Amino acid sequence: MIPFTHFMLVGAILFCIGLYAVLTKRNAIQILIGIEFMINAAIINFVAAGQYDKDRMGGQLFALFAIVMAAAAVAVALAIILKVYQHYKTIDPDKIDQLRN
Amino acid sequence: MILSVLTFLPLLSALLIVLLPTAWQQRYKYITLLTTLVQVIISIYIYLNFADNQAGVTREQGFQFVEHRSWIGLDLGSLGRLQIDYFMGLDGLSMPFMLLTSVIMFVAALSSWEITRNLKGYFALFLLLDTAVIGVFGALDFFLFYIFYELMLLPLYFLIGMWGGVRREYAAIKFFLYTLFGSVFMLLVMIGLYFSVNDPVTGNHTFNILQMMNPNNYTDGALFSQIANQQLFGIPARLLAFIILFIAFAIKVPIVPLHTWLPDAHVEAPTPVSIILAGILLKVGGYGIMRICFGIFPDAAIHSAWWLGLIGVVSILYGALNALAQTDLKRLIAYSSVSHMGFVLLGVASVTAEGASGAMMQMVSHGFLSAMLFFLVGVLYNRVHNREIANFRGLALIMPQYTVFIMIAFFASLGLPGFSAFIAEVFSLIGAFNSQSINGLLPRWMAVGGSVGILLGAAYFLWTLQRMFFGQTRLWGGEEWRTQLTDVSVREKLALVPMAALALVLGVFPSLVFDKINTSVLEFVNHVLNK
Amino acid sequence: MTLDTPVVLTDLAIAAAILPLLSFLVTGLFAKPGKGAFLAILTIAISFILSAIVFSQTWNRLDIHQQYVWFTIGNTSFYAGILLNNLGSLMLLLVSGIALLVHIYSTAYMKGDAYLHRYWAHLSLFCFSMLSMVIADNLLLIYIFWELVGFSSYLLIGFWFTRDAAVQANKKAFIVNRIGDLGILSGLMIVFTQFGTFDLQQLLGENGLIINAFVQNGEWINGVHTMPAVWLTVAGLGFVLGAIAKSAQFPLHVWLPDAMEGPTAVSSLIHAATMVAAGIFLLARLFPLFNDTVLLVIAITGTLTALMAATIALVQNDIKKVLAYSTISQLGFMMLAIGIGQYSAAIFHLTTHAFFKCLLFLSAGAVIHEMHHVKQVAPVDFDHQDIRNMGGLRKHMPVTFIAMLVASLALIGIPLTSGYLSKDAILISSFEWAALRGSWSKIIPVTALITSWLTAFYTARLFFKVFLGKNRWRILSPEGHIHEAPPAMRYPLVILALCSTFLIFSVNPLLYEDAWLLRGFPAVESLERINIIHTVIPALVNLLAILIIYFAWQQYARRDKTIFTNRGFFYDFAFNKWYIDNLYQAAIIKRVLNLAAFVRGFDRVIVDGMVHLLAKVGQALATLSAWLDTYIVDGLVNGVGILSKSIGNFARNMQTGKLQHYLLITLFIVITFFIVTYFSLAI
Repeated sequence: MIPFTHFMLVGAILFCIGLYAVLTKRNAIQILIGIEFMINAAIINFVAAGQYDKDRMGGQLFALFAIVMAAAAVAVALAIILKVYQHYKTIDPDKIDQLRN
Repeated sequence: MILSVLTFLPLLSALLIVLLPTAWQQRYKYITLLTTLVQVIISIYIYLNFADNQAGVTREQGFQFVEHRSWIGLDLGSLGRLQIDYFMGLDGLSMPFMLLTSVIMFVAALSSWEITRNLKGYFALFLLLDTAVIGVFGALDFFLFYIFYELMLLPLYFLIGMWGGVRREYAAIKFFLYTLFGSVFMLLVMIGLYFSVNDPVTGNHTFNILQMMNPNNYTDGALFSQIANQQLFGIPARLLAFIILFIAFAIKVPIVPLHTWLPDAHVEAPTPVSIILAGILLKVGGYGIMRICFGIFPDAAIHSAWWLGLIGVVSILYGALNALAQTDLKRLIAYSSVSHMGFVLLGVASVTAEGASGAMMQMVSHGFLSAMLFFLVGVLYNRVHNREIANFRGLALIMPQYTVFIMIAFFASLGLPGFSAFIAEVFSLIGAFNSQSINGLLPRWMAVGGSVGILLGAAYFLWTLQRMFFGQTRLWGGEEWRTQLTDVSVREKLALVPMAALALVLGVFPSLVFDKINTSVLEFVNHVLNK
Repeated sequence: MTLDTPVVLTDLAIAAAILPLLSFLVTGLFAKPGKGAFLAILTIAISFILSAIVFSQTWNRLDIHQQYVWFTIGNTSFYAGILLNNLGSLMLLLVSGIALLVHIYSTAYMKGDAYLHRYWAHLSLFCFSMLSMVIADNLLLIYIFWELVGFSSYLLIGFWFTRDAAVQANKKAFIVNRIGDLGILSGLMIVFTQFGTFDLQQLLGENGLIINAFVQNGEWINGVHTMPAVWLTVAGLGFVLGAIAKSAQFPLHVWLPDAMEGPTAVSSLIHAATMVAAGIFLLARLFPLFNDTVLLVIAITGTLTALMAATIALVQNDIKKVLAYSTISQLGFMMLAIGIGQYSAAIFHLTTHAFFKCLLFLSAGAVIHEMHHVKQVAPVDFDHQDIRNMGGLRKHMPVTFIAMLVASLALIGIPLTSGYLSKDAILISSFEWAALRGSWSKIIPVTALITSWLTAFYTARLFFKVFLGKNRWRILSPEGHIHEAPPAMRYPLVILALCSTFLIFSVNPLLYEDAWLLRGFPAVESLERINIIHTVIPALVNLLAILIIYFAWQQYARRDKTIFTNRGFFYDFAFNKWYIDNLYQAAIIKRVLNLAAFVRGFDRVIVDGMVHLLAKVGQALATLSAWLDTYIVDGLVNGVGILSKSIGNFARNMQTGKLQHYLLITLFIVITFFIVTYFSLAI
């Protein structure tokens, strides 16, 4: 049996990769991918934790729910990015600074 | 009620002037003149209705035209109730000054015709000063007194500093700081007294001057209690307080060596302000010494009488010698004021009826005479803007009436019998001489020394007369001056005649003053001697 | 209406004194230039008549004393009142009489002066003051009128105020008199302190306070009051100082010769006959106050003055100056009489002297008047008062000549004149006085005797130089003519000449003791009558005097010589008036002025310097505190500001508006939170 710690490690690695992408990428889509990484890291944790709740299957259920939510969020985010691109001709978040002024 | 009217009437007029449009500024002087004239009439009414058998000085019952209302009554919790009264009243020590102030203000208003700049400000300040001075002489509550006393400074500062001569700022600041220096410490003493004295009726601390005079009203162990005999900085507290108050008033008198503001202020001030300064302001000092210093601290006064007498003699001689050496006519008269006010101090310090009466008379008489002298200098200065004695000669030929007035003023000032100054100086000296036999306060040589001042007085006045007015006419400004030096005008005569007449009338009938003040003076002397 | 009731008499006396005041006020305030003579003469004439009535009703009767409360100080009332006794009413009559004559004389003498109205006003003021002084009943009033007399004298000396000499002279006169006034004031203060009253009758009356006061163990005791006995002497000397100043005695005589700058009529009335006698009058009034020391001082002063003035008079050339010094000399005689306790003799001499000295001056005035006219037509300028320019006026001015002759004889003291009687009274009394004392006291009568011979000489010199000898003025002014004085001047001369003879004083022209005037005053100190003196002294005096006059006549009238030409030490000494003026100038006036200049400098540099120093110190402190304020106190405040500003800047710079920065910061904070939480748990 795979120990619980390994799941957690994989999750943590995934999360860190996602976080790195979010903080450093200049492309909104790449940032979005980073976010997806972080969400999936959380989902892995849910599923791994699910083994301790065999009666009600809480981990698996939350995982499914999070996947659905993430899919919806990605759809919305992509739509926003498309709109932003149409408006600003860029999807670099640093350059989208009209609110600042 | 009448005292309040007398005091605050000028304030109302000042407000009126402030509110009137500047386009009417040529009429301000008439408003001022009318106000002062009404004041003169009220003062004459007061004089005529003043009962001369009421003593006043220490007891409220003896005061006349009394107005006594509660003014500020703040509850201060554990400190008790702050009791400040609007307490005005007249006795023989203050009544003559009311009349004096009114008349001098009238004369000063007449001589304000020469003012041409910024009339609104000038006349408003002038009237404010009027209120303050009258208030000082009427107030019987120390707090009220202090307010009026400080209120005098402000208008004077501006009147000198804005309408004065070349070095007006210097003179104004000097005057202001000098006087303020005295009065700031007075404030401390006043507060100390407040916390030492209890009103026997209400039990509160009080600023009432009359209650400060009664040793029974002091709380046990209070700072200024006569019985407790507390020390401050190694000096008895009452003596220290007396000295502080004395210095505050002595600056006003002025005494040597606290007199140097006076020549500068007089020389730089415009003529009406000089008149007010010499005619009234100096008397505030003398009045304060009598009413406040001697009244509240009689024990300390007796203790220091010898020194006060000495200061008086020194002032007489020092002022006279200085006057002898002056080359500016106005400075000469300023120093003669120092000399003449020395007699006041000498007379008061003797604590005899003769001396105190002489001092009172001297203040009244000097009020009229110095006002007249400064007015006369102003007349000359207005015409040619010069006051150097050496620049004039033989003025009698071209200004005969002016010379007559000058001679009246000079001879009256140097103590020619028939004028008030003679009676005043003689009785100040007699009092001082008498003192050793009666109460042993002043040695006899002080009176003899003081009388030398009369001789010096004759010397500097006659010398000036001879140099400026007699001989063949010779003027520094030549023909131009000769045409400018016209004889006195009707307006100027209107101002000069009453003063000359008053000096003469008081000299021939001194009872006009003495009868009114006698009871109070006796009460004053008895109070100070604790009889 | 009966005239001899006290109330009526005092009213008359008051009226006599007040009337000239009326004239003064009316003339002074309303008169047109040149007018005023009528009113002045009218009032003084009425005064004279009233005085005569008062005199006739009060002479040798009971004293009349009437007083009114003037003012009250403390518990003491001061009175104004009238005291009519022999001395007062005699002086009243004398002053008003001579004043009347001088007024009449002045109408002619002063004719045409531009400021004539002032002259009349001032003359009236003088008459008012003088008349009031002699009848005043208390010391304060006497002092008041005493000063007013001095004031009117000031005005009249400086009447020609455009002349420098005149205004110098009147200033000098007033200030010198002020010195005397200080003396009187001191005396006044002492008397008041000791006795509590100024009233003459209370002080000096039959049972007066002064007589009852006594000296014991060096204390001067009067019932309740005591003061050291030295003050009694000081009081006496104070009054004497006053008298010395007013009566022009050594060393305060310097003003009188200068006072001759005034109109001659004024010199005659004020500076010869009446005002200068006020000092004698005062001493006579206050006689009981003086103790032996004071009396001796009076006697010595008088004698010294008499001698000094006589020597100076010997060499003066100005006609008025000579007369002025003779006045001083004669006043010295009167002082001497008072000093030896014979104030009756002093008053007697005062009276006779008033007439003949007034006459001398008026005659001199007539001469000056004419000489002035002569000078006006002269081609050269000369001093019309210099006796060296006169001479031979006898033929031109016979009446003046005779008047002056009578007056000169009276001044010398030749028998049949009034001066003989009064001067003898003084001389003989002084010898009798000296007889009672030690041999040193002989100096006083002997000096007086010598002085009277000197008097004979300078009087003769003056007289001969003016009226006899050659007409020296002809050389200076060939066109000039001298006429007899006009009637208004002539008649007063005649009347005064009559009054200068023995006729109105005594029936016996040779014996002064028969004079009615002398008997009007009680003998204060009775002297033993030494008969031999009464014969020898007059004979000696007159014999030598006549020889001296003869010598002078030889020299001045016949040979027209000048005796005092060699300018030796004595000549210079006398000519320069004993150098007293120079001494005063150098020793007193200069010193006082230097002192004044020093005090002025002291006031400027030291006293005002202290104030300025204080101001400087204040300013320095202010600068210091301003520095502290800017760099320390404000520095702190600014430091706080700067700190918060930099923090603000730091925080502001974090707001980059970049999403990823915010995320990074959030991450950083979260991690920090965890770390802190972890470690805090560990702690």
